Amino acid sequence: MRNNPQLPAIRLLMACLLMVVVTNAYAHAEVGVAGGLISGFLHPIFGLDHLVAMVAVGLWGAQLGRPAIWVLPITFPVVMAFGGLLGVVGLPLPLIEVGISISALVLGLMVAMALRPPLWVAGVLVAFFAIWHGHAHGTELPEAANPLAYAVGFVVSTGLLHLCGILLGILVAWPMGTWVVRFSGAGIAAVGVYFTGLNLFAAS
Amino acid sequence: MRKWLLLAVLLCLLPNQATAHLVSTRFGELYSGILHPLTSLLHLVPWLALGLLGGTQNITTARWALLVFPLAVLTGLAFADGLPVPTFVQALNIASFIVIGLLLALKWELSKASFLSLVGLFGLTHGYANAAPELNGFDWLLYGLGVGLTAYVLITLVSASTQALVSDQGWRVIVVRAAGSWIAAAGVMYAGLWFTRP
Repeated sequence: MRNNPQLPAIRLLMACLLMVVVTNAYAHAEVGVAGGLISGFLHPIFGLDHLVAMVAVGLWGAQLGRPAIWVLPITFPVVMAFGGLLGVVGLPLPLIEVGISISALVLGLMVAMALRPPLWVAGVLVAFFAIWHGHAHGTELPEAANPLAYAVGFVVSTGLLHLCGILLGILVAWPMGTWVVRFSGAGIAAVGVYFTGLNLFAAS
Repeated sequence: MRKWLLLAVLLCLLPNQATAHLVSTRFGELYSGILHPLTSLLHLVPWLALGLLGGTQNITTARWALLVFPLAVLTGLAFADGLPVPTFVQALNIASFIVIGLLLALKWELSKASFLSLVGLFGLTHGYANAAPELNGFDWLLYGLGVGLTAYVLITLVSASTQALVSDQGWRVIVVRAAGSWIAAAGVMYAGLWFTRP
C-alpha cells in the first residue's frame, strides 16, 4: 500500500475533503480583519503604477548593493507611513496620482541607467516618493473594514514587492543579469511614462 | 484504498457540532483567554514584535522577558477587573507598535533595565486591554491563565527562534529589521487614524 503511486494524490484529496468539515469560530474579538487585511494587501498590487514603483525600489537597492539593498526597502515603509498619516488626517497633497507615476518613471530610469548616487541621495529620493504612495493608501484607510488590518496588509504587500525587486536584482551578480535588471528598469520607466501621461491628461 | 477514500468522503458528510467540548465544564474561559490576544491584531502584532526584540537583545536579558512579560500581562489583567479600557492605555498599546517596531528597525540594543521596563510597561497595558468586560460573571482566573499562557508561549517561541535566526549577523538580521519597519509603519498609520477619529 505504501508503494501505491496514487497515494500522494489520494492524501491530497482526503485533505481537501476534510477541509469541508468547517465549524464556526466563536472567539474572535475584532470584526472585518480578513476583509481589511485582504483589501490592504491587494491595494498596492492592483495599482500597476504602485506595483512597479515598489519593485523598482528593491531592484535599485540590489543594483546599488550593500547597504542600499536593505536601507532603501526599510526606509520606504517607514516614510510611507508618514505619508499615510497625511492621508488619514485628510491633509491634501497635490497631484497624488501624478506623483506616484513619476516615482515609477524616475526609479525605473535610475535602474535602467544604473545610476549610483550617494546613499543619502538614493534614500531621500525613495523617501520623497514614499510620501505620495503612503498618502494614496492612507486616504483609503479610514474606510477599511478594519483599519489596522488594512494597514498591516498593505505594509506587508509593499515589503514583499520590494523583496521581489531585490530577488530580481540579485541577477546583477552575472553579466547577463545586469542587462536583465536594466531592461526591467526601462520597462518600469515606460509604465511610469504611460501613467504620468494618463494622469496629467486626466488632471487637465 | 478506495475504502479509505469512501470513508473520508462519508466523514465529510457529517459536519456537526461537537457537544463534548470542555467548554461546558468551565474550561471555556481558558480557551477564550488563549485566543483573545491571538485573534486581535492590536495585541498579536506588538507581542510578536516584542518577541522579535527579545531575540535581538543579549540572551541573558531576553531570558528575563520570558518571566516579566507574562507576569506583567497578568498584573495588568488583574488591575483591569473587567473595567473599560482607559484612553491612555489604548494609546500606549498603539504606541507599542511604533516604539518596538522602530527599535527593531534601528537594531537598537537596550540595557537590561530599559528592555525589561519596556516589556513590563507594554505587558501591563496589553494585559489591561485584554480584560474583556463581557466576561464579567465568568471565571476570570481561567481566562487570565489563558491570556498569560499565550503571552508566555508567544514571547518564548518568537524570542528563541529569533535568537537562533540572527546569530549569524547576516541576511537574517536584515529580515528582522525589515519586519520592524513594517510594524512601525502599520502603527504610525493606525495611530494617526486613532488620534484623529477615535
